Amino acid sequence: MIGTLERPAVGALADAQPVINMVDVGMTYPNGKVALADVNVNIPAGDFVFLVGPSGAGKSTFIRLLIREQLATSGRVTVAGRDLARMRRGQVPKLRRRIGIVFQDFRLLPAKTVYENVAFALEVTGASRAQIRQRVPQLLNLVGLHEHDDHLPTQLSGGEQQRVAIARALVHDPAMLIADEPTGNLDPVTSWEIIQLLIQINELGTTVLMATHNQEIVNAMRRRVLALEHGTLVRDESGAAYEREY
Amino acid sequence: MAFIRFVGFAVVRAWQGFWRNAMMSLAATATVILMLVLLSGLFIVISGLNSGLDFIASKVAVTARLIDGVSDDQRLALIDYVDGLEGVKQVTYVSPDMAMQRLEEAYHERGAELDLGGANIKLYASLEIALDDPNFSGSVASALEDRHEVERITTKEADYEVLNNIIGTIRMVGVVAMILVGAVVLFMIVNTIRIAVYSRANEIEIMRLVGASDSFIRWPFILEGILCGLIGAVVTIVLVAVVWDPIKPVMVSVFQMPTAVSTQFLATLSAVLLGVGLGVGAIGSWISVRSNLSTAT
Repeated sequence: MIGTLERPAVGALADAQPVINMVDVGMTYPNGKVALADVNVNIPAGDFVFLVGPSGAGKSTFIRLLIREQLATSGRVTVAGRDLARMRRGQVPKLRRRIGIVFQDFRLLPAKTVYENVAFALEVTGASRAQIRQRVPQLLNLVGLHEHDDHLPTQLSGGEQQRVAIARALVHDPAMLIADEPTGNLDPVTSWEIIQLLIQINELGTTVLMATHNQEIVNAMRRRVLALEHGTLVRDESGAAYEREY
Repeated sequence: MAFIRFVGFAVVRAWQGFWRNAMMSLAATATVILMLVLLSGLFIVISGLNSGLDFIASKVAVTARLIDGVSDDQRLALIDYVDGLEGVKQVTYVSPDMAMQRLEEAYHERGAELDLGGANIKLYASLEIALDDPNFSGSVASALEDRHEVERITTKEADYEVLNNIIGTIRMVGVVAMILVGAVVLFMIVNTIRIAVYSRANEIEIMRLVGASDSFIRWPFILEGILCGLIGAVVTIVLVAVVWDPIKPVMVSVFQMPTAVSTQFLATLSAVLLGVGLGVGAIGSWISVRSNLSTAT
């Protein structure tokens, strides 16, 4: 069962300021491969967006640019009001605390319990024990795992592991949650539970960007869809369905 | 408060990392111990020889044996002459009686008695000339050669030069050995930390993604290298302390190390070992972290 989380900052996050703004963004790798070309995207706070496209279309590069793992070779990428190209190296960790990210393979630490996995994200950013004790149970309650806090990841199902990853991604109360194929390793029923959780998080005010190949989910949700093909944004449509982006 | 939390985090993670990668960490620590034991040996030998050198330099550097029958006036004139030479610190007249007394005392110290078998033996009178610097012994000896009151001149210059050459050679060999062993130690620490970084790649990836600063990511690894150096230094200090008790009397009696210096020696050596251990650990891990750990883009 999924719990609830009070979030006083919802109003502030849901204002009109875009969380993501890309203007004429291009990314060409040193070997000459063009991963993205002339991408223009504006995602306002509170939006729920699907990022679709076949393998190699540029979805991963798109995400890496947003978390500043890579810098665009042309154009401008702005996240939460910050121009990433002008950001100093020392400010990158602060940016990443504004962006939560979850992956298809969960990326949990196998030797740490559910509680410790979530607490780790706070601990490594200098949070006090009191902050950790307050925040971690809230998040485990939100994702419905408060009764499994002493379990190791190996004792959990795939869906439960993904929830732990989502709880960890939310520890810093990010403005945006990026989910990179979060249901890729899950069965259909569990996938829907994860989607329900992401919807709930979105309703609390967090912008959600979800890269996926799951046609069924995209079609059923009817949210905004960004479709990439050969590095080019071929479709940006609200209330859309999956088309030919396999 | 935030800084204390950071230090606590880094220390705990370094300690956990050291034992998680125990085989490599202990191997690196063993090389640190090897290097520091070598350094200790070198330090002890060179300090001992330096003490011996200082002892020789501080003692009579030139002895002028006088002919028989030198009058008091001639002797005083000679002393005035020697006193006026450049580099002479002190001139002491040793009469035949004093020379005999010294000989008897030397026998006595060795637990024997001087037995002349009833013969009436008279030793030579001499001038013992202490110098400001042993390098003046040549010029002082030359100045005395033409004096008819002087029968024979002996200097400690040869002893001094031999000891000085030995120290120079040991020092050079020691420095080369230290550089070689130091390079091995650095290599071991760099590789230990490299393996630690690779074995914790997942953790590092997660730390980066959740917004850990570079300091939080890097310092536990740097402290892990410093820990290798610290443990190595502490073990070596304990080893040296254990062997110092039997070595100390040798330093005092053979190398003429002053007792006050020998008492302070262990503390001085411990500080050197601690500094070198921590330094080599820090440098090795810093090199490794810089070359193997990319953090923020």
